Amino acid sequence: MTSELPFETERVERIGWLIQLRWLAVLISAVAVAAARIAAPGALPFRALLYVVGFVALYNAGLSLYARSLPVETIGDRDTGSAIKLACVQIVLDLIALTALIHFSGGVENPMILFFVLHTTVANVLLPRQLGFVMAALAAVLLAGMAGMEYSGLVPHHHVPLLGEIELAREGWYVTGFVGMLIVTLGLVSYLTSSISARLRERDRALMKRHREVIAKSRELEEVNERLRAIDAERTRFLTLVTHELRAPINTIHTCIELALSGHAPPDKVHDILERVMRRTEEVSQLISDLLRLARAREEARRDEPLAAVHPAEVLRGVVDLMRAEAESKDLFLSVDVDPELRRVRANPERLKLVWTNLLSNAIKYTEPGGIVAVSIKQGNEYMVGAVRDTGIGISAEDQQSLFQEFFRAGNARDLCPIGTGVGLALVRRIVENLGGKVWVESEVGLGSKFSLLLPSEKE
Amino acid sequence: MTTKGEVLVIDDDPDFCAAMQAILEADDFCVRCASQGAIGLRMMREKKPDLVFLDVIMRMPTEGVWVSEEIANDPELRDVPVIFLTSIVSSEYTGHFPTDRPLQARAFLDKPAPMAKILDLANRFAGAPTTPPTS
Repeated sequence: MTSELPFETERVERIGWLIQLRWLAVLISAVAVAAARIAAPGALPFRALLYVVGFVALYNAGLSLYARSLPVETIGDRDTGSAIKLACVQIVLDLIALTALIHFSGGVENPMILFFVLHTTVANVLLPRQLGFVMAALAAVLLAGMAGMEYSGLVPHHHVPLLGEIELAREGWYVTGFVGMLIVTLGLVSYLTSSISARLRERDRALMKRHREVIAKSRELEEVNERLRAIDAERTRFLTLVTHELRAPINTIHTCIELALSGHAPPDKVHDILERVMRRTEEVSQLISDLLRLARAREEARRDEPLAAVHPAEVLRGVVDLMRAEAESKDLFLSVDVDPELRRVRANPERLKLVWTNLLSNAIKYTEPGGIVAVSIKQGNEYMVGAVRDTGIGISAEDQQSLFQEFFRAGNARDLCPIGTGVGLALVRRIVENLGGKVWVESEVGLGSKFSLLLPSEKE
Repeated sequence: MTTKGEVLVIDDDPDFCAAMQAILEADDFCVRCASQGAIGLRMMREKKPDLVFLDVIMRMPTEGVWVSEEIANDPELRDVPVIFLTSIVSSEYTGHFPTDRPLQARAFLDKPAPMAKILDLANRFAGAPTTPPTS
């Protein structure tokens, strides 16, 4: 999509036409001068006329080269572009050349004098209004100057015998009347042409403005569309994963129940199988709860959920109290270190509780008995910095990349604990990001993991 | 006691493996389980089974396809019948299935497969009585 105004492009095009037309004028003038010399040798200063034609050819060649080098991008939508300067130069040169040609070929007696009207029209089409008037005024001055100087004898008058016996250029009334009428005509032409031109330009500009608005709007819509498409693709991917994660335990439950019902296996086996079924139903139930929480967190991100000022340490203590028994049953040392300067954060306490619960329960789950789980919260300038460290199995660098994706479970986590939803950390990230925070992991396989958490603090 | 042939179940779901083991052992098969494709292959190379029940979607979406091709490319193992036992057909992962080459499997069972069907296939491919293990 180009940004230039059609009118500006047109102006450049018209300047191109003018250069072409001028070559034609140079050719016709040269032929006319040559013909006149053969028809009436000695009647006119042919050498001077040829010089003028040569001068026109020369500056036209220059203009042609310059116009070709003119980059279209430099032409802005204001009337101060290079195209206008080029148009001005051309018109001024043309008016001077026209005056010289007419002066050397009969002055006011030469009907070619009407070309002043043509030049004025061209000037007013091409140029902004004031400049158009200036060019009309220049044409009037050159015309009046030439006629006046020829009349007064300041410059010689070159009479063309073909145009009649009487030297009209020396007739005061004729010169005054004719030149006066011509100047009035130039003024009127200038006024009319520039009025029409200005109105067209105005309309053009309004149209262009509308055009730009439409383009901007359509771009905006395209972006929205793109975003919606991405959301839709993400939703489809998510649904694919969810259906698989739900189907797997249900298929297993189905097979187990069929076995139990068939009476095919011995009772002790059946008992074991039914225990497994029970665990799997709990897993499915857990998965559904996690999915609902995740859906709610996604929804909250869209809705700008109202938040309250929450003391993160209080929430953490509540979670630790619940988790302590589990940690002790695994013979884990659980330490909590809270910065006394800790400020409150803007959060939903239930969601924050979920974040701590998920991070802590993971640390407990994936740390071998005898290990350490250490939780700390420190106060930064603008952020609360939370950390959950463990001496657990650790996470490989590769698995760390996908750790916060829904349903992803690290390979060694699956080995240690085959059943798990893989939703917990995705939920943590979603909640933390909803609160304007950030969560990340540092870990080394066999040594342990550290999950860090930044949440924006309230200003005290 | 004479047993039927040895069956290897490769599936990342430990409960499903346990159920398969119970089903097949009750019908006198000798059953081993592997939770990953690579582990299953290693177990096959250690002791060649008579039949493999193979899941497809494990850690990778088409891990089972890779395992079946490894088996087909191994001169020692290529005669072991492989049965895909997977929910990939009814899952959205179907598109991951290769279409440019034949599947290296004797049969294809959609999860959850009827027990009778599982036993029928197991008996067809590994039902012949073998000498009981010495241990």
